[in-house]
Amino acid sequence: MMLALELFRSIPRYAAARTLGSRMPGLLVGPMAPVRLVTRDEPSVRHDGWARVRPLLSGICGSDLGVVTGSTSLYFSALVSMPFVPGHEVVGELLDDATDHAGVPLPRGTRVVVDPVLACAARGLAPCPSCTSGRTNLCDHVTVGHLSPGLQTGFCRDTGGGWGEQLVAHSSQLHAVPDDLSDERAVLVEPIACAVQLARRAQVPSGGSVLVSGAGAVGLFATLALRELTDAGRITVIAKHGRQADLARSFGATDVASPDEAMRAVRRATRALRVAPAPLPGPAARVVGGAGEMLLGGVDVAVDAVGSTGSLDTVLRSTRAGGRVVLSGMPAAADLSPAWFRELEVAGTYASSGDAFDVAMGLARLAPLEGVVGGRYPLHRWREALDHAHSAGRLGTVKVCFDVRSRA
Amino acid sequence: MSRPGFVLEVDDRTPPLVVHEGEGFRLETFPRGTRVIYPPESLPGIRDVDGAIRRALLEPTNSEPLPVLLTAGMRLTIAFDDISLPLPPMVKPDIRQRIIEQVLTMAAAAGVDDVEIISANALHRRLTAAELKDIVGERVFRSFFPQGALYNHDAEDPDGMLFIGETDRGEVVEINKRAAESDLLVYVNVNLVAMDGGHKSVPIGLAGYKSLRHHHNSHTMVNSRSFMDHTKSAMHHSAWRMGKLLADHLKIFTIETTLNNDVFPDSYGFLMKREWEWGVRDQASMLAARRGLAIAPKSVRHKLYQGMRAPYGLTGINAGETEAVHELTVAKVHQQQMVEVQGQSDVLVMGVPYVGPYNVNSTMNPILATCMGLGYYFNSYRGQPVVRKGGAVILYHPVEPDFNQLHHPSYVDFFEEVLSTSTDPAVIEAKFEQQYATDPWYVHLYRTSHAYHGVHPFYMWYWAAHAMDHVGDVVWVGADRKAVERMGFRAASSLQDALEMVSGTVGRSPSITYLHNPPHLIADVR
Amino acid sequence: MTSPVVHVTRHVLSGALLRGARQDVRLVARGWRWGRRSMVPRSAEPFVPAQTAEPFPTAWARTPAATVVRDGLQRFGLRPLMRSGITPTVRGLDVLDQLAGPVVFVANHTSHLDTPLILCSLPDAWRRKTAVAAAADYFFDTWWRATSSAMVFNTFPIERRSGSMSATPGDLLADGWNVVVFPEGTRSPDGWTRRFKPGAAFLSQTQQVPVVPVGIRGSFAAMPRGRGWPVPGRPAVTVRFGEPLLPQVGEGPREFGTRIEGAVALLVDEDATTWWDATRRAARGQTPPMSAPDTAQWRRVWDQTRPPVVRTTRRIWR
Repeated sequence: MMLALELFRSIPRYAAARTLGSRMPGLLVGPMAPVRLVTRDEPSVRHDGWARVRPLLSGICGSDLGVVTGSTSLYFSALVSMPFVPGHEVVGELLDDATDHAGVPLPRGTRVVVDPVLACAARGLAPCPSCTSGRTNLCDHVTVGHLSPGLQTGFCRDTGGGWGEQLVAHSSQLHAVPDDLSDERAVLVEPIACAVQLARRAQVPSGGSVLVSGAGAVGLFATLALRELTDAGRITVIAKHGRQADLARSFGATDVASPDEAMRAVRRATRALRVAPAPLPGPAARVVGGAGEMLLGGVDVAVDAVGSTGSLDTVLRSTRAGGRVVLSGMPAAADLSPAWFRELEVAGTYASSGDAFDVAMGLARLAPLEGVVGGRYPLHRWREALDHAHSAGRLGTVKVCFDVRSRA
Repeated sequence: MSRPGFVLEVDDRTPPLVVHEGEGFRLETFPRGTRVIYPPESLPGIRDVDGAIRRALLEPTNSEPLPVLLTAGMRLTIAFDDISLPLPPMVKPDIRQRIIEQVLTMAAAAGVDDVEIISANALHRRLTAAELKDIVGERVFRSFFPQGALYNHDAEDPDGMLFIGETDRGEVVEINKRAAESDLLVYVNVNLVAMDGGHKSVPIGLAGYKSLRHHHNSHTMVNSRSFMDHTKSAMHHSAWRMGKLLADHLKIFTIETTLNNDVFPDSYGFLMKREWEWGVRDQASMLAARRGLAIAPKSVRHKLYQGMRAPYGLTGINAGETEAVHELTVAKVHQQQMVEVQGQSDVLVMGVPYVGPYNVNSTMNPILATCMGLGYYFNSYRGQPVVRKGGAVILYHPVEPDFNQLHHPSYVDFFEEVLSTSTDPAVIEAKFEQQYATDPWYVHLYRTSHAYHGVHPFYMWYWAAHAMDHVGDVVWVGADRKAVERMGFRAASSLQDALEMVSGTVGRSPSITYLHNPPHLIADVR
Repeated sequence: MTSPVVHVTRHVLSGALLRGARQDVRLVARGWRWGRRSMVPRSAEPFVPAQTAEPFPTAWARTPAATVVRDGLQRFGLRPLMRSGITPTVRGLDVLDQLAGPVVFVANHTSHLDTPLILCSLPDAWRRKTAVAAAADYFFDTWWRATSSAMVFNTFPIERRSGSMSATPGDLLADGWNVVVFPEGTRSPDGWTRRFKPGAAFLSQTQQVPVVPVGIRGSFAAMPRGRGWPVPGRPAVTVRFGEPLLPQVGEGPREFGTRIEGAVALLVDEDATTWWDATRRAARGQTPPMSAPDTAQWRRVWDQTRPPVVRTTRRIWR
């Protein structure tokens, strides 16, 4: 038996989270959270290539919070299987002998990070077209095969997740962690790998200007990856909080602006023209809402690393004609007129594929990541942990982790 | 009879003194021994203003009378100082209106048909039609504006500027083409402070960035000791060189006017009086004003202050050849504003009022407040600064980070981007000035909207360069802490705190001087 | 952005308005020495302009509204107050029946009672149209004294130091106001009358209005200089109005002044004795002088504090 946090199906709690969540976030990590701490059987998959992993550190990702707080799009509900143990940013140690994704043997006790995507290989299926081309993150078979539906480890009933004392992982998911990489850096490999994927999807032209909207973990790692892996010129990061701004600079941002200054900062950086519709008179403005301003000209590539409507509007309105908008956060509803009018290329980026994990491992070793993990909680203090993660930016924290072994 | 200015020494009989701070004022009890410099009382205004104007035009200095210069078929251009003068704006009729009307009357009598009237706003914002009308009057406005013959100078119009030449120091002289190609340019000036007028009128008012950068830069500004004395100001030397070159190419008939110190309307009469002479009525209206301002929402306060019009009296008008006229003008300004002060002090205290040259009908943002305090007020001296080298300056102003998006778009960026990089005028100049000066959006807004030019906030910062170079410490009382820190200064909540904060620089019992303006004054420091 | 109404309401309800006002008032009261003389900082003294006597504005006190208020104050405040302190007797009011227009009332002056005495003696129609000349340096040195005396007594300031009269009394006469003048310029220290200054005579001559002499006896005894309230026992005081005098052709202000002084003295004598005796004495030029005899101070005061003998108990004023 093991201790784990479990996300379960509860219609009233889900409904409450949807309706009240934005107003009373306290409820979501309190009585209304569709999460419970349970003692349950260890997960197991009785097929070849699976090994047991004991998580050491397990990160809390924005998408985890999204699920907990019910802000995630219903689009995903068919892609998960309840109840599941969340947690897909995992560094752990092998409890069985195994091989890694490339077939290299890994003895029991090896520290590994898990690529959470549960693609055809893990499901015991013949590769789908996406997997054949190596883009495992786009696998079409995430609901079928050996396993219950679940796009990733941490969303699947059968595999367990990082927020439990044990999980199972397929050899295709395993990446050995070098000895000189601390647990605290290793737990960041998965999110950095996503950022590597993002940097590749961004297709930044040489010397091109980039806007990164958001300076949470996603935005910061995106900045890091864009700076290290691309030939980007000026990178402007929109950061809400002071520590985020400092980190963004240390990760390679050229300049940092606050959200209400975003449009202004981009305009200055790119010498674009700024247009704003004439304000409607008095009460009309209150009814219709202020139609936002936009830039004619702007950055070559804009990255949304928040997913909120405001952030999406900012990136869509501040990208030059023919530029590229990369969606990295889980996007909310937004006005797509600029995408049409400015012929923007809107690109999504999800998880990672190919050698992203290897590149991320390198970045995790070299980047100035001290203090990025700003909170470590044992599983039984999950309410505090989620609360901390929920307001991480304001508290000057980038990543909150569960220290799974800890009982303190 | 108006009394001269003098230096008060605060003693135990001295009541609290008025200190202006943005759109409001406070009563401050200064430490005993503080010197307070009071400007001279208002000189009596000329009663027959129209007669004085006529006399000035008919009997000019070093020039033929204006009617002689006006001939049928000539191209006549009249340029006038824009809304940055006088401060606050004067009650109607504006003195410029009265002068322009008489000039036009003479021009009409001489049969001049080709007349254009230009607001000499250099890189300032374009005036609105209503503002133009306030300055030139309804009659002139109606006769010229609809035909497009009354307009704002546009320094970024590639077809509207004419390269005149270069001075012996290689300074580019380029001014408004229409003015440059006229047979006669009549310049109507309002000489509020000693800095204005002379060759600062045409070579600056009608010029563009290419010319202005030669004298509006951090180097010249640090070496202008001070702007209020054109013989000792590197900025004015440059303008004078340009003016002399220009005088060879163009016939300029300069009309300069000087105003007295009546800057507050009657209802705020107590602000013009020396505090110990306040009667019951003054005390009552002060108390009422204080409460009214405290209770009024910010927007109401703003409207109230910006709506203030000064009942200025005209103290002098001179016309003719620029330099000769300017000598007479400066003498008159000195008579109204000069106060003799013995020696420098450790601390200089100044209250920054609600209006400066660049926020008429607008907001005084942090950069403008700095320019007003450390630029204009600090430089309001002759001889040597009121505060010793390495001393401290204490300023009063709320310094709220409010920017008028219509008038000051480049200021926002300057504040957010430039000042967070550096506050050193020279560094800023090298790294950012060119970018801002040529930013197409700023140019667009300057030309078509009512925005100050992209480079204008830099000039504001340069105005303060001499002060920042000279003093060791700058503390703002009652200011927004964040905004002030962004500009490299410190904020205090009271005078006592501020003195405590600067005690590291000037010691525990520093000598303090408070400049009691407005009304305007020039400290002649011996 | 809160609405202005909310802003103002919050400001008031939070007490910020009152608190701020209290602070400001305290600061101003201390800084400008409320209730005491204001001071000029030492270093500013050379720049204080020479004190030009700026007459305290009193025109407001003669507006119809102020007149109505004053009428009430005098009728229901001043008059009962006087009666509670003294026993006044008024004689000779019938002279006013022959007169229409503005006159100058000229009286001897020994007490602060004199002004209210004269005012309360006058018939209502006259009283409402009467102003009192008061020393600018005494009554008009502070705002509260000036305001209250202008309100209650309809005083206006005259300069008593310089010989020339300020322009106001003439203007008032021209406007149809009666003016009360005490030509001695100050209250007598011993009850005896001092020399009349020629101001009243001059005024009457320039404005061509009659002078009505008024003799007051007993007010010194009732409330001499230095007392703020009449002596106990409701002392008797008499006010006697005399025949109007007009300046003769060719008569200088000095001679006319002497004539007025004589008329007042006659009234005092008449009050002390009888009209017949006084008139005969006057005809012989033997009217006892009002000015002090050359005796010791105590005897002069003794004489003057002897209460007048009132020969009738019939009350004159209603």
